[in-house]
Amino acid sequence: MSIDGWRPTAVAATDRRRGLERDWRSVRVGAAIVAPASAFELQVPR
Amino acid sequence: MNGRRLLPGLLALCLGAILARALAVSLGFNRLLLAIALGFVATNAVGIPDRLEPGIATHGLWLAGGIVLMGASISLGTVLEVGGLVLVLVVGVTATTLLAVEFLARNVFGLADRMGSLLAAGASICGVSAVVAVAGAVSAREEQIAYAAATVLLFDAITIVVYPIVGDLLDLSGMVFGTWAGVSMFSTGPVVAVGFAHSDVAGQWATMTKLARNALIGVVVLAYASYYAHAGGGGRPSVRTLWNEFPTFVLGFLALAVVSSAGVLSSAQVTSIENAYDWLFVLAFVGLGTEIRLADLRATGPMPAVVVLLALLVSSALSLAALLVLF
Repeated sequence: MSIDGWRPTAVAATDRRRGLERDWRSVRVGAAIVAPASAFELQVPR
Repeated sequence: MNGRRLLPGLLALCLGAILARALAVSLGFNRLLLAIALGFVATNAVGIPDRLEPGIATHGLWLAGGIVLMGASISLGTVLEVGGLVLVLVVGVTATTLLAVEFLARNVFGLADRMGSLLAAGASICGVSAVVAVAGAVSAREEQIAYAAATVLLFDAITIVVYPIVGDLLDLSGMVFGTWAGVSMFSTGPVVAVGFAHSDVAGQWATMTKLARNALIGVVVLAYASYYAHAGGGGRPSVRTLWNEFPTFVLGFLALAVVSSAGVLSSAQVTSIENAYDWLFVLAFVGLGTEIRLADLRATGPMPAVVVLLALLVSSALSLAALLVLF
């Protein structure tokens, strides 16, 4: 069913954990959007 | 982060998000659930090429970034008004679910201690993230982690479908439905998806309640590390665990909620931020859908699934009854 084979569940689990890992990347993503939206009144389309 | 390695998968997520929004407008269906459905169909009907995997695996980051931005929409006044009751409910349901899974796994179904502990953490706190965090503390084997993760993913897939149906059948208010989903469903992504699929109010309560649960992960990991170290063969417990496991996006969410509630942002700025987190959520949910793989779900053993199902039924029914009485 897959083009390149299935990714084992344990790898998927670790990936997801890595995505929400305890670093500040998600906060930086938020700051990178809030800063221009508030400083330059940047309009993000719906 | 290697940008060139991530780019193909990120482009795929963006295309999926645009397609989900376009289909949602033309079909009149919720865009967040459609995004999950698109990812699910792509991974199970066609398959995900290896070169797209690194970019698609960033979906958790976009979900967490979107949750940080959601802080701008939160009224701290409302949270402080009813937050105490909700917090008591979060702690009560989390403890009940954890103890129910441990009891059923060990005493009724005879599962291995560590397997029961991984299932208990996944069901009571924050899904696969909790499974992986507790696995380190209890020195679980790789196949136990995979088994527990598959069980959590199975119930993520089931609850994404069942909770909105029950919410509509019982005609639950946004606050009750959101808190119910936040307190009893497993992983953060599905909780946010079904919450916002119901209404904005439900989405905000679902996310806040789930964040309160996620914040308990350090306590649970520390408790398990202490228990297994005492029983022999676990990781070394340390109070530092409380900080090491604390999800930092919760701090970002709280910081923006304080800034927004102080009236620093104009309504136009808040609207822009709300539009931005809506895009991030759609992007994240396309990726989340690609993780619901039928082949993986079929690998779930019947015993762990029955244990988690029984615990979910108990925590779900108790929390809904409590919410209907309280609000």
